[in-house]
Amino acid sequence: MKRGFILAAFLAATAAFGCVVVQPTIAPPAPEAHAAPLPFKGRLADGDPAQLPPSVAMSLSDTSPVSFLYREELTHEDRHSSMAGSALNPLTYAGYPTGEYTVTAFASLSIVEGDKVLGDYTAQAHVSESYNLYAEPTHKELDEAARAAARRQVDQYLYNDRDRLAQQFANSAQTATGAAAGK
Amino acid sequence: MNGRTATMLLLAASALAGGCTAQGSHFERIYTPPDKSVIYVYRPYSYAGSLIRPAVTCGDETAQIAPGAYHAFIVPAGSVTCTAATHTTDEVEVPPQSRIYYIKEEIGWGLLIGNPHLEPMDTDEAQTEIRKCCVEQP
Repeated sequence: MKRGFILAAFLAATAAFGCVVVQPTIAPPAPEAHAAPLPFKGRLADGDPAQLPPSVAMSLSDTSPVSFLYREELTHEDRHSSMAGSALNPLTYAGYPTGEYTVTAFASLSIVEGDKVLGDYTAQAHVSESYNLYAEPTHKELDEAARAAARRQVDQYLYNDRDRLAQQFANSAQTATGAAAGK
Repeated sequence: MNGRTATMLLLAASALAGGCTAQGSHFERIYTPPDKSVIYVYRPYSYAGSLIRPAVTCGDETAQIAPGAYHAFIVPAGSVTCTAATHTTDEVEVPPQSRIYYIKEEIGWGLLIGNPHLEPMDTDEAQTEIRKCCVEQP
């Protein structure tokens, strides 16, 4: 009787697990960052104009003495379950994850005027998503999500630092005016 | 099992395994003019999924890469998308500033046919791996 009970419980548990559909985990949306123009304009000395944090993209000017240097780098780490393991696992057919993609985006922004650094920011964002037999994200989608998350962080840092940046820029402009008047 | 049957089985097995492995010259770097980029897509040998050769497209060029082989896509410099599809699709966007880029292709477990995975690789790791694993796709 006891053996029969254990067998029945095991079968019931297997059947119950088989009915569970596990959706790929989707990262929750990041909180809204403050994308606002900077208190000054700058020219892009390094970086792709199409791949910038919105705050920087809104503050571009070719004639400004301030320079923006922006770089992004991505690293990838994929984890795949073995094919044999996936094939033999009944949960695979119920949508259980068979692997995971992870992307880390590193972003760095330097704001310089001549040889003076007005601001230096680095951000790092991880995005990971599992996939299953039926659906999987593309690396391109994850790359874009990681880049966007890193840019939002940079925007947030710039927003939090906007008063100090404005002050730095004003001081720098004052020094330049003073130097010009002294000549 | 007699000797003749064993020999025949061994021959059949080696022919089958040999048929799945790419034959060709070992990895050599390609030098391209400044207006071009090179994308190396390589596929380390794995018995699982070895009969599947999904079409990999980078820019306008398409290649079916055998297990244990690599293909060098020479594309105009700029942003290029590489895709591989069976019943699922994986897609990698190659950044415009990359003159040399490495992607590893693997076949994962799929519903009716294996799912292709295209993994963007770190240059150092990819160079080591491609030299060990892969020959040029004939």
